[in-house]
Amino acid sequence: MNAHAKHTADATTVEESLAIQQANAAFDSKAATDLAMQNTLLTPRFYTTDFDEMDAINVEPVRKDWDKLIGQMKADPNKGHFKKNADWDQIDWEGMDPALKAEFLDFLVSSCTAEFSGCVLYKEMKRRGNNKDICELFALMSRDEARHAGFINDALREAGVAVNLGFLTREKKYTYFRPKFIYYATYLSEKIGYARYITIYRHLEANPEQRFHPIFKWFKEWCNDEFSHGEAFALLMRTDPKLTQSFTNKLWIRFFLTAVYSTMWVRDHARPEFHKALGVDIDWYDQEVFRKTSTIARQVFPLELDIDHPRWLPNLRRMNDAFLAMDRAKKRGGLGGLLGRAAAGTKAAMAFVALYTIPVVKNEVPAQVRLEPSY
Amino acid sequence: MGFLTRSTETAPCTVEVCHTFDELSAHVRLDNGAVINPGDTVQVHGAPVLAGYGEHITEQRTATITRASTVEQIWTRLTGDFEFMELCEFSFSEEATL
Repeated sequence: MNAHAKHTADATTVEESLAIQQANAAFDSKAATDLAMQNTLLTPRFYTTDFDEMDAINVEPVRKDWDKLIGQMKADPNKGHFKKNADWDQIDWEGMDPALKAEFLDFLVSSCTAEFSGCVLYKEMKRRGNNKDICELFALMSRDEARHAGFINDALREAGVAVNLGFLTREKKYTYFRPKFIYYATYLSEKIGYARYITIYRHLEANPEQRFHPIFKWFKEWCNDEFSHGEAFALLMRTDPKLTQSFTNKLWIRFFLTAVYSTMWVRDHARPEFHKALGVDIDWYDQEVFRKTSTIARQVFPLELDIDHPRWLPNLRRMNDAFLAMDRAKKRGGLGGLLGRAAAGTKAAMAFVALYTIPVVKNEVPAQVRLEPSY
Repeated sequence: MGFLTRSTETAPCTVEVCHTFDELSAHVRLDNGAVINPGDTVQVHGAPVLAGYGEHITEQRTATITRASTVEQIWTRLTGDFEFMELCEFSFSEEATL
């Protein structure tokens, strides 16, 4: 791959840096046509929602906090941060353990796709909405997500993976998200994203010898963006108390928390080599991320999951076993595979119910919504 | 749009793909103001828009919108919410084993 191309981080003058970038661009297009680079097609989802309902949002009850947050985002403190500098160490991709490389690339591609999906969703909201406050917020968030995606993409290019945006000409089906689901889901995904990145960042700060790729050095600023996006959704949820306080919506919040936490558990356990290289025990890491996310979410959710309950970890493990059995059944195929899938599906559903029915910890939301990243 | 049948229509559209260091994004805008509803599908015609690194491409294309039937639309409204997990960084790989 790019082994012969000099890195821009090594350039000493602007001219040199530009020349390197040009050479890289030429190399990339040639490599992409030669299929020398592994081609990864991004497959984001496309969403539509009830735009009239979104337009009807009134941020007046939280106006002071809202304007302050939007002001911060407009000031764009992270502009220019997401570029490589002298801290960007060269990586010997060829020499990396193949199992670790596969898991790490999967991590980068899925991170890039998630940023990208957020970017597409937010831009669509901005385009179709008529509410000035909401459109402004979504435009700013879309900017951040596109920037993050660009940064991860750059790391992927170095590893010889070309991200393909050809998905646009494929048939795309638009799915539907109720506005309140957008708030719960994006709030949680932004806050849990913050908790995940900051936990890794702090761990590597204490154990720099485990940092096998320089991208982790950028995690702090990256996750501060995630944090402020989450803040915006926290304020949005505060504009209408029903969103978090009605009986049905409490059940939904509980559902979202259980689904997101258990999915994260299963997905992280699929990347043993990645976590081993970081020196992170996956069980510890996931519990730590849940704990941070739950603590932050006290700003807006009236309940939190009891992750220290005796039924919590055993059922997460059961859930993971069910997904592993599902994979094996899919590979097996045929009638046996079909029966195996049904059995695994039942097992996963039972584990989910067991997790969902763990009594939750009630929480009185504070009068003051806004938080600053403090981990 | 029928209760069980789909219908199609075409619309001019603008495709914008940005593949630079500062931004990786791709968007389609329907230029005649057509509104996409739950369950509809959109296909942009022509070769894939492939922006090389450092390129920012804007192209005029034609898109075919396949309108979902009423049943499909209701189904998408009822079930679409469950695809929320796609927004999380840890949800994009299909398998539990890599």
